Amino acid sequence: MDHAAALGKVVAIIKPFAKNTQALEAATDATRIIEDLGVNSARLVDIILAFEDEFGISVDDESADKVHTVGDAVQMILQKTAAGG
Amino acid sequence: MAPGFDRVGLRVQEVLSHAAAPLTYGALSAWMRFGRRYRIPNLREVRREFAAQAWDRPGPLLICANHLTLIDSLVIQWAMTSAWRLARRRRAFAWNLPDRQNLARHWWWRVVGYAGKCIPVVRGGTPEQTRRTLDKVAWLLERGQSVLIFPEGGRSRVGRVDREGVSYGVGQILQAVPGARVLCVFLRGRGQEAFSDYPARGETFVVRMERVAPSTSSAGMRGARDLAMQIVGRLSEMEARYFDDLAGHR
Repeated sequence: MDHAAALGKVVAIIKPFAKNTQALEAATDATRIIEDLGVNSARLVDIILAFEDEFGISVDDESADKVHTVGDAVQMILQKTAAGG
Repeated sequence: MAPGFDRVGLRVQEVLSHAAAPLTYGALSAWMRFGRRYRIPNLREVRREFAAQAWDRPGPLLICANHLTLIDSLVIQWAMTSAWRLARRRRAFAWNLPDRQNLARHWWWRVVGYAGKCIPVVRGGTPEQTRRTLDKVAWLLERGQSVLIFPEGGRSRVGRVDREGVSYGVGQILQAVPGARVLCVFLRGRGQEAFSDYPARGETFVVRMERVAPSTSSAGMRGARDLAMQIVGRLSEMEARYFDDLAGHR
């Protein structure tokens, strides 16, 4: 999976949780999930679990804590899928 | 468990809180009863039920309540036990986890918070801050204490049990202390329409409680979510029954 495909899927997963849909449509790697997209911080866990389901990966607490931006999420997903989950 | 918090500090707070309880709890109870004219109509029955549901046997107890006002934990503590019983039974005086920002409003709130066995938390804090809070709560529970928390993660902005804001911290606590019993408490002033700082003067409270035994076959965050949602689901059901009863009486 390439970066653009992962980015598209990440944005689609975040969509139901994002209050700022305009920012989501223009999301880049630098877009902050909580501050820019208006995602409730408590919902980050749901987003991470959705990543696990969608990409067939396992995300430990330490990796989850490092996800602040859309780019962080994409990078983590690409690394884990390349490593086989 | 990471040794990232001050156990001695918590022990000191516990001892001082209990020593001061006749004064602080007495004064706060008087403020609620006579200053604000709050009322729990069937208070004796409520306390008997708490005694049967919560204090019937030793061990960790996690009290999970819905949340609409800044003083919900105070009202619940008042509903749970009388001042004399509080002095005699340490577990009947529950720890609670208010937002640090709320306690910072006035210096006397900080004093009352300390004496009221509050562990201030940073809402939306860093993972390290969250982990430290969870570790403290787990440690207290492992010592057989009672902890009162609001699984919604703050006062509900929608006036009803709010699943949107639910933090899965309660699930993580149960994963850390699987032997903890869970008591769901539904509290609502009859005139309470939405969230507020204080209930209205003269408010009459309904207090209901039910034990719940959440379980999950999942581990990690998924398991924490399962456990938390079962608890919030029960609070939501209790709320629905309250409104059904209210409609039935009209």
